[in-house]
Order: sequence, then C-alpha cells, then structure tokens
Amino acid sequence: MWVGLEAEEYDRKYQDKDLLKRIISYFSPYKRAMILVIFFLSISSLTTAFQPIITSIIISNLETSPDLIFILFLILIIFIFNISSWVFNYIRQIYSTRVIGSVVLDIRKDAHKSVVNHDLSFFDKNPIGKIVSRINTDSRDFGETVELSIEVISSVVVLTILIIVMFTVDVVLTFVLLISLPLFFVAAMSFRKFARKMTLLGQRALASVNAYTKESFSGIQIAKTFRREKKVYDDFLQVNNQSYKVNLKRAFLLNAIFPTLGLIQGFVTMLLILMGSILVTEGFVGVGELVLFIQSISLLFFPLLIIASFWPMFQTGMAASERIFAIIDTLPLVIQTNNIKPSKLKGEIEFKNLTFQYDKGRLIFDNFSLKVNPGESIALVGHTGAGKSSIAKLIARFYEFQSGDILVDGKSIREYDLTEYRKHIGIIPQTPFLWADTVENNIKYGDENASMEDVMHALEISGGSEWVKNLPEGLKTNVRERGSLLSMGQRQLVVFARVLLENPSILILDEATASVDPFTETQIQDALEKTIKGRSSIIIAHRLWTVRRVDRIIVLDHGKIMEEGNHEELMKRGGTYANLYNTYFRHQSLEYIEKMGKN
Amino acid sequence: MVFNKKELTAEPVVEFSPGKDPYIKSRKKGATRWILAHLFHGSNKFFIIIIIFTIILSANLSSIIYIIIGQTISALLSGLTALLGNYILSLFILGITGPILRIVSRMLIETLAQRTERDARKEFFTNLLGKSQSFHEQMKIGELMARVTDDVRMLNFLISPALSLIVESFTYLFIPVIYIILYYPFQLIIEPIFFSISFLILLRSYSRKIGPITGRLRGNFGSMTATLSETLSGIEVVKATVQEEKEMKKYYKHAKNYKEAFIERGKLQAKYLPILVLALVITAGFTHSVVLFNNGLMNIGQIIAFLGILGLLRFPTNISMFVFAIFRLAGSSADRLLELMNKKTEINENKEGKEIVFEGNITFENVEFIYPGSKTPVLKDISFEVQAGQTVAIVGTTGSGKTTLTKLISRLYDVSNGRILVDGNDIRDYSLQSLRDQISYIEQDVFLFSTTIFDNISFGRVSSLEQVINVAQQAQVHDFISELPEEYQSKVGERGVQLSGGERQRIAIARAFLSDPRILILDDSTSAIDSNTEDKIQFAIKNILKNRTTILITHRLSQIRWADLILVLKNGEIVAKGNHEELLKTSEEYRKIFVKKFDIEEDQLLKEVRK
Ligand SMILES: Nc1ncnc2c1ncn2[C@@H]1O[C@H](COP(=O)(O)OP(=O)(O)OP(=O)(O)O)[C@@H](O)[C@H]1O
Ligand SMILES: Nc1ncnc2c1ncn2[C@@H]1O[C@H](COP(=O)(O)OP(=O)(O)OP(=O)(O)O)[C@@H](O)[C@H]1O
Ligand SMILES: [Mg+2]
Ligand SMILES: [Mg+2]
Repeated sequence: MWVGLEAEEYDRKYQDKDLLKRIISYFSPYKRAMILVIFFLSISSLTTAFQPIITSIIISNLETSPDLIFILFLILIIFIFNISSWVFNYIRQIYSTRVIGSVVLDIRKDAHKSVVNHDLSFFDKNPIGKIVSRINTDSRDFGETVELSIEVISSVVVLTILIIVMFTVDVVLTFVLLISLPLFFVAAMSFRKFARKMTLLGQRALASVNAYTKESFSGIQIAKTFRREKKVYDDFLQVNNQSYKVNLKRAFLLNAIFPTLGLIQGFVTMLLILMGSILVTEGFVGVGELVLFIQSISLLFFPLLIIASFWPMFQTGMAASERIFAIIDTLPLVIQTNNIKPSKLKGEIEFKNLTFQYDKGRLIFDNFSLKVNPGESIALVGHTGAGKSSIAKLIARFYEFQSGDILVDGKSIREYDLTEYRKHIGIIPQTPFLWADTVENNIKYGDENASMEDVMHALEISGGSEWVKNLPEGLKTNVRERGSLLSMGQRQLVVFARVLLENPSILILDEATASVDPFTETQIQDALEKTIKGRSSIIIAHRLWTVRRVDRIIVLDHGKIMEEGNHEELMKRGGTYANLYNTYFRHQSLEYIEKMGKN
Repeated sequence: MVFNKKELTAEPVVEFSPGKDPYIKSRKKGATRWILAHLFHGSNKFFIIIIIFTIILSANLSSIIYIIIGQTISALLSGLTALLGNYILSLFILGITGPILRIVSRMLIETLAQRTERDARKEFFTNLLGKSQSFHEQMKIGELMARVTDDVRMLNFLISPALSLIVESFTYLFIPVIYIILYYPFQLIIEPIFFSISFLILLRSYSRKIGPITGRLRGNFGSMTATLSETLSGIEVVKATVQEEKEMKKYYKHAKNYKEAFIERGKLQAKYLPILVLALVITAGFTHSVVLFNNGLMNIGQIIAFLGILGLLRFPTNISMFVFAIFRLAGSSADRLLELMNKKTEINENKEGKEIVFEGNITFENVEFIYPGSKTPVLKDISFEVQAGQTVAIVGTTGSGKTTLTKLISRLYDVSNGRILVDGNDIRDYSLQSLRDQISYIEQDVFLFSTTIFDNISFGRVSSLEQVINVAQQAQVHDFISELPEEYQSKVGERGVQLSGGERQRIAIARAFLSDPRILILDDSTSAIDSNTEDKIQFAIKNILKNRTTILITHRLSQIRWADLILVLKNGEIVAKGNHEELLKTSEEYRKIFVKKFDIEEDQLLKEVRK
C-alpha cells in the first residue's frame, strides 16, 4: 500500500527540445555572466589541452638532440599555463555559481508561486511532502546538473583540440584512439535508459519513505492509543526495505558504469601501445609522438568519463527540471476570467443551477439554486455530508464548479480578481488550523497591522480573553504545530478572533464553535449577532439552537434544498427541520431516557 | 557528548520495542562510536576488509601499469623488441583486472552504504515510535522528517563516497611513492613527498572552512523546507485570508539565504589550492627528471612512467575538494540523530507488567498533572471513581482540562502526582500493551491516515470486510461509503481532507467500535454530526458498550443525561459531581453551562410545538 512508485497525477511529458528551450529561457537574464563563463571556460580548457602537446615536443627533443635551454623554456610555458588555467577556472567558477544560484532561486520562486496559487483540489490529490520535495530538492538537483554540464562543455573543448592535433601527428594512431569513442558511447547509452528509470524509482522510493514517516508521526497519538505501533513499524519496514532495494540497484548500476568504461580504456591503451610499438619500430612515428597519445588517453578518457557518467546525471537533472516545470505549468482549476476588483461587496450571493463534484462520479450538487440577499444571515443545516461545507468552499473559490454559476453582487464570481475578492470573504473552516507561532500572530495573520487593542478586542468578542492569560506566556505563547498546545475549543476561539479582525463583507462560519462549550458559545453568540448585522453571513451548525435567530434557515439533504424559512416557520411546518430539532431536544423528555435505559 | 555513568548503565525506558537493539550501547558513546558500531555490525566488517584489500590492490595495479608503459617505451627506444609482447600482454591483463577489482569494491561499498542508511533509519524510526507522546508534541514534524530522511542519508554519503574515497585517496597518495622508490632514482620522491605534505596542510585549512559553509547551506535548505511545508499545511487559511504574497515573501527570504550560502561555497571551492599545487609539483617533477636525464641517471621511458605516476595524485586531489565537507556534515547529522534518540522517554512500556482482562473500574486519586515544559498544573487534585460498566460524563468550559484527563488514562502522559487505578491496580503496573489494548479512544481532533477507508477503520487489526462493514453500519457511515466509487477502498486524502467533518468522525467511531475495548473514551466525538445521525450512533454505542466503562466528553445534553456520573471541571478542578438532576439543583457551574438561555427557553418552545 505504501509502495507509491507510480508517477504523480500532474506529471506530464516534455519533449527534450522544449525542456531545453525552457531551461535556456531561465538563463537568458544572465547572458553577460554566461558569456564570461563560456569565455573563461574555453581558455582554461585551451591551456589544459596544450600541455600534453608541449610535453610530447619535449620528449621528442630529448629523444633526438637534447637542448636543455629550449626544454626548460617549454617547461616554463607549461608552468605558466598551469597557473593561468587555475586562475581562469577560478573566475569561471565564481560566475557560474552565481548564475546557477540565481537560476535555481528563480525556478523556486516560480514553482512556489504556482503552488500557492493552486486551488484546494490540487492539495487534495498531492501530498505536501511530495510537493515540497519537488520545489526544493528537484531544483537543487537541477542546479547540480547545470554545474556538471559546464564541466562537460569544458571537456568537449579539450577533447576537440586534442583530436585535431593528434590527427596532424599521426592518422593511424588517432584512429586507434578514436575506436574507443563509439565503444564508449554505446556503453554509456545503454546504461542511460536504465539509469534514468532507476533514478526515478530511487527518488520515488525515498519520497515514499518521507511521506510515510510524515504521516506516521502526525498520527502518532492514534497509533499509541490504539497500540498499533507494530503495524506502523511493519509498514515502515516495508517502505524502508523497498527504498533500500531500489536504491541499491540504482547505486549498482551507476557504479558499474565507471569500471566498464575503465575496461574500454584499458583495452584501448593496450591497442595503442601495440600499434604504437609497431609504428615506432617501423620508424613511422617518434617516441615523443607516441607519448602524446599515451598521455592523451588519460586526458581524453577523463572528459569522456565525465561525459559518459554525465548521461545518467544529466537524465536525473532533466527529470528533475521536468518535474518542476510540470508543477509550474499545471494550471489551477480555479481561474479568474476577468479581473473585477470590488472595493466593497454588498453581499448578494446567488447560486444558479449549479453542478459541482469533487471527483468524477459523485455529484455533490446537481442543479442547485439559492439566493442570499445583501445583509441577510442564513443558516445551513442538514445531515453530515449534505454539502454544507462545500457551499462555503465554493463561495471562497477553493474549488471550481462544473456548470451553472455563482453570482456575487450580480456578477459571476469567476470574473472577480481572486485575491481582491477573497479579501471580502471571511471564512472559518470546519477544522481549525493554527500556525506554529504565537497566539497573537495567529490572530493577526490576516491583518499584520492590527494593533494590540484590536487583537484584544477580537479575542474579547470571541468568548473572552481570560484563558489566554493562563497560558505560560500569554498572547506570546507559541502554540506549536497546528495549535497542539491549545485545547480544541481554544483553537476555535483563536480562529474566530482571526476572522473577526479581518472585518469581511461576507462571513462564513463552518461549525465555528462546534468544540466550544455551550456557556462560552452563548457569549460568542451575543457578540456574533452584533457582528453579522449588515453583512451577509452563512452559518453552518449542527447545534441547532445556535441558528434560531438567523433570517433564514436552509435545510440541505444530499445537495438539495429540502426546506427553507425562519425557525418558527419551519417548526410549524413539522418537516425535516422540526424533526432534526426535536431529535436534538428529545433528551429533554423522561420517556426517552427511560427507553434508552432499557436498551 | 558527555554522559554520566548512571545514564550509561540505566535500562532504556521506551513505549515500544519490536526486537533487539544492537546499537543501544554505542548510542550513548557519541557519534563516532555509533557510526563505527553500524559499520562493524554483523557481516559489514568482512565487507570492509575486502573493500580495503581491493582498493590497495588496484592502487598498486595503477602504478604498475605506468611502470610497464615506461619499460615498453624504453624497450622501443633501445630496440629490444623481444620483450614487447610480454609487456603488452601484461598491460592487457592489468587493464582488465583493474576495472574488475573496482567493480567488486564499488558494489561492496554501495551495499555497505545503503545498508547503513537502511539500518540507521530503522533504528531511528523504531526509537521514535518508542518515545512518549509528550516528546512528540514538542517535536516539529518537519524536523523529524529532516532527521529521518536527510540526516540518515548523510550516513550513506559518509560511506559512499566519503569514507571509501578517503581510503582510496590515501592509498593513491602513498602507494605511488613506493614504486618511485623501487624503480627510480631515490631523490625523485621529493616531489610526491612535498606534495603530500603541502596537500595535507592545505586540506586541513580548506576542510575547516568548507565544513561550516556546507553546514549552513544544509541548514538553510532545512528551513526552506520547513517554511514551505508549514505554508502548504495551512494553505486553506492562506487562501481564505489572502496571504499568498506574505507566504511567498517568507519562502523567498529563505531561498535567498540558501542562494547566498551556495555562492559562498562556490567561491571557496573555486579557491581550492591543492589543484594548483599539484600542477606545479608535476611541472617540477618533470624538470627534475629532465635534469636527471641530462645527467644520464634516467631514460625517457622512466620519465614518462614517472610523469604517469605523478598523474595518479590527481585523483585524491580532485576528490578531496568535495569529500571533506561530507565528513563534517555526517558528524553533525549523527549528533542530531543521537540527540533525539538519547532523549529519555518518560513513559515505560513495562513489558513485564500485569496483563489481565479489565473489569473496567477506574479510580482517580488526587491526580495532579503538569504538562512537560509548563509550570502551572492543568489538573489539580482530581479524585473520582467509576464502577465497571458505568458511564461518566465530563463537562466543563473550553480549556478546563477534559481532554487532558482522558489522555492520562491511556498513559499518553503519566500523572505528575497522585495515581490512577484500573481494577485496583496502578495503571503503571500494567504492561502498556495490555493497558492500551483495552482502551479505545476517539480523539477530539480526528486523525485519519491517507490510505483507504478500510485501512483506516481496521487500522492494522486483521479484520474481514464483514467486520469492518458491521462497525461502519453501527457508526452510521456505511451508507455513505457504499456510495463512493471505490467503496471501502476509497482513499481519504491527507488527514482525511476528502471527507466531510462528520464523515471523518464517524470513521473514527467505527475504528473504536472495531477494537472492542473494555474502556471507551469519547472526546467530543459527535460534535460534527447532525442530531438524527447522532441519535442512531447513540443507540449503537449503548448496545456496544453494555458492561463497558465509558468516559464521555460532550456538550450535548442528550448524551450527558444518561451518564451515571457527571464531573464538572473548571480550571482543572472538579467543582461538582453527581447526576444530571442533582447537579441542576446543586451546581451553579453546571447550570451556568447548560441551563442559561437554553434549557428552559427551549423546553417551553418544544412543548408548544408538541401541542
Ligand atoms: N475534498 C474533497 N474531495 C472529494 N470529496 C469531498 C471533498 N470534500 C468533501 N467531499 C465529499 O462531499 C460531500 C459533501 O461534503 P461537505 O464537506 O460539504 O459536507 P458537510 O455537509 O459539510 O458535512 P459535515 O456536516 O459532516 O461537515 C461529502 O460526502 C464528502 O465526502
Ligand atoms: N500539549 C500541551 N502542552 C501544554 N499545555 C497544553 C497541552 N495541551 C493542552 N494544554 C493546555 O491545557 C489546558 C487544558 O486543555 P484540554 O485540551 O484538556 O482542554 P479541554 O477541557 O479538552 O477543552 P476543550 O473543550 O476546548 O476541548 C488548556 O489551557 C491548554 O492550553
Ligand atoms: Mg462540513
Ligand atoms: Mg478537549
């Protein structure tokens, strides 16, 4: 079950050409620096390439008529070449890290921006751990690949120069040397496909370990109370072993490539010396020239090794960039078709023949219509899973609907500028979420500039600030991840205060006080009644007595409106609402309790 | 790290221990000892011996190759063609054996590295599972994640490439010298010796600088990941409050710090001097040998071989640039892992403890509780008694300590003072397994795993689909599940985000039903469920819980009403006890919670409607 080595849903395939174009476009802002990099790269490679050539001249000289002054002069040139090669390389590296650092930063920025602008359906499907690893780790891998590519370019330069010079020296030996090239590339290429596959698998196996760990320890309390550590442990062993097996295979493969290439190198060296010996004894070439070839082998094979080993690495990098671009390029489903920026909303909301589903196959709303007048307060009640929270999420533009329309102040909500529009909506989600930050910062989250008085006032309205004083450091207490230092009710109160501080035109409360005790709730209730005056508000609650005072109650059943009206009307009618309400209070009758007792 | 003697000898206290722990002693002795314990665990030590052997062998082979090349050239120059065939044949053999040896050693090294990663991760994970709830509450998930993945991975990198390359480098630094001594004028060892010494000096200062920078780079990477994870877990809030900009800026700040450290590391690597020194040493060696040639002490073949052998030094030089940073990193990774693993757990699994089937009598005796790290007690002087099979309801204002009280019964935390008895025995005398097995807990903050509904309900118990369907029906969630396209095999998303609030709660209820406990704790577990459904669940609970002890936290009078005992908590103290009728009469606090506005008013209304 935890295997999870399959591709993500939003993965897509890019042509190599498109991918490269895309990568180049990220480098184009740094053209100047890139030109410098290439320049210094080339000249430092030049100086490297000429060293064996000079060496071979020296050897030839020694062989025939040793001229010590001339030789020392040549050695001095090698000396100078060495120093300048180091300096050029230094300059090149300074520029290239700068460029790579900036490009990686740009990519991360783009990916982050794209991710936070996704709607919630994206996060429903993709575990956070995996998204994080794409944005951070994949971009890092990509950067490393670019670094490597620069090395490869330099190797290619060296290689080219050497080959040209060698051709002028001796054609036969050059050919012997060049036999290795196709061998090399056949070997490297045949690894390439497996390497790419194994690398992807390895990355995914590791990602599964991450995801599994994350989940195990997020739910550790449950595992403990149900004493299910053994199961968690066994499942962990499974993912951990899977990761071990996959990554070991990958490592074997990647490590086999070098020795295999080394084998080719050994073979070619032998061939070269064999041919060289024949040519030297026949007098076609001098020993100095043979030395050039022998020295070139290592100079040649090192770049070749880089290039060959580069393939799998390059593939990793390409795969990484592909993964990031996929995340940058997936469009959110919720998009604005226009950019109306409302300065204020009256708060008229109208659902028109709305169809909505989260996943294919299960319609949550089918031809749903509802109108909320400006300033009206309505309540949504109904069985669990009826679609109450979904209405809230649709108004907040967290999900895209399939057909029909939602109008706010007479305009389709698709036409509003998303951020501006959301600024006017205050929503308390059903599950309270707090940041691992202080109580104060949590309340101020939507409005950084709020003063201390505002914060205290918002808290006061949300059931009093007494409890905050009892925290170890009062308002400055860090509430830990998801607010785990606070009781559930306290978390809801903080979220409540946060939304009050936002002062929205449309207020949506999704079970905002479900975990708060009735006493505190009544206190909030009074304040709430004042707060919702003049704003359109949608209140979702199962504790029916909290919604009696609203202007209109909507009873939902499987995404359909069963009844609507105010409390009195609905009670008189004696339908679903009255039934729900009566069940809610049935306990008041003694007969009921007795009946329960008998069961 | 310093530990006192007592800690070294103390038996570890854990909540969960699946098997023998071979590294337990070494953990107390610091990072190096711990890593060594992993390296030499089981068959690993044979691996190491073979690896070192093959590495030394191949360094020798590489040197010999150059010597033979030199001799070949000498033979060519002097026209001694008779030996040529032998030379070429031996080159061929060496050319093949070298890579084969390398394959062997690489594979062994990799196996060792991957094994260590796997074993260390397993050790760490197991250890975390054994830690108490208070440990986990103080830990950020992001931090744990970083340990389990990155820090453990560092140990892999420590072995491959770092340790293996270090061993290789040092053999490549010294073996060639032996051959120079054996085959060439003795004075030629000046250059390699000079290089080795200056290399070691330069390397020392380089690795002192590269370590901290690489550490910073990793630290920045970690905080970048932590910020991003938190933003994404709260993405709904970010969107609702339109704070995308702010979150982007926050991330950007961390990403920029990372970039700066990255550039700084690049600069340091660009300045890596040994490469320059080696180039100069090779040039010097060349000059030196030319001079010797001039004096007739060397021939051309030997010059070439000598240059080739000097060239072998390139490998350790280039590699050391990257490898030493890994040492530093791995050291601090191991420290971080050990720091967590060595933290003591407050709760003892007590494996040898009593294991009996509970009747279900629960007694609190003057229980006081202070959360670790806090000063003020959350619960004070709590005493009460529940008979087996009874239901006790706990009510009280938000934050009065209800949830905390229930956590003490299943020993998520141990009491600070006083004691809790089940069937007359202190709960600490039972084995933790037996205690928790008989208690089911439906948490207020329902947590679902991102697997299927079936897995969430069965949660590791071997259970048939029928059993699961049965409890799902009782929890009133079966009808909903069967409407889903994949029914019980539907995935619920991270933390169950793809379900409605009430659906999540009902799945948690089903999970508790299935576990067939002696004691059931329901912490506000119907808060998101409508009254009709709740009513049905009530009946199921009543049926299932016949003769089982139930602790109920709720604000719904419908449930409180039939409790045998009601505890009213206020600021961590029991301010009233009794049943509903008694409390209505006697307790101001109780009336304050339930009567105000609500009971009387509604009761009247209800009566009107009934008429
Ligand atoms: N993110 C999601 N992906 C897929 N299905 C979803 C998602 N969120 C909710 N659903 C499904 O949509 C239906 C309506 O859910 P919704 O959250 O609107 O119910 P609700 O009326 O708020 O219920 P409750 O009172 O339990 O909170 C449910 O059956 C639920 O399983
Ligand atoms: N892990 C923790 N560490 C420190 N303090 C905590 C922790 N959990 C809760 N608290 C504090 O202990 C007090 C009691 O919390 P608890 O969760 O027991 O309240 P509760 O009665 O269940 O409230 P609610 O009805 O809101 O769920 C609160 O003031 C809370 O801030
Ligand atoms: Mg809901
Ligand atoms: Mg609680």
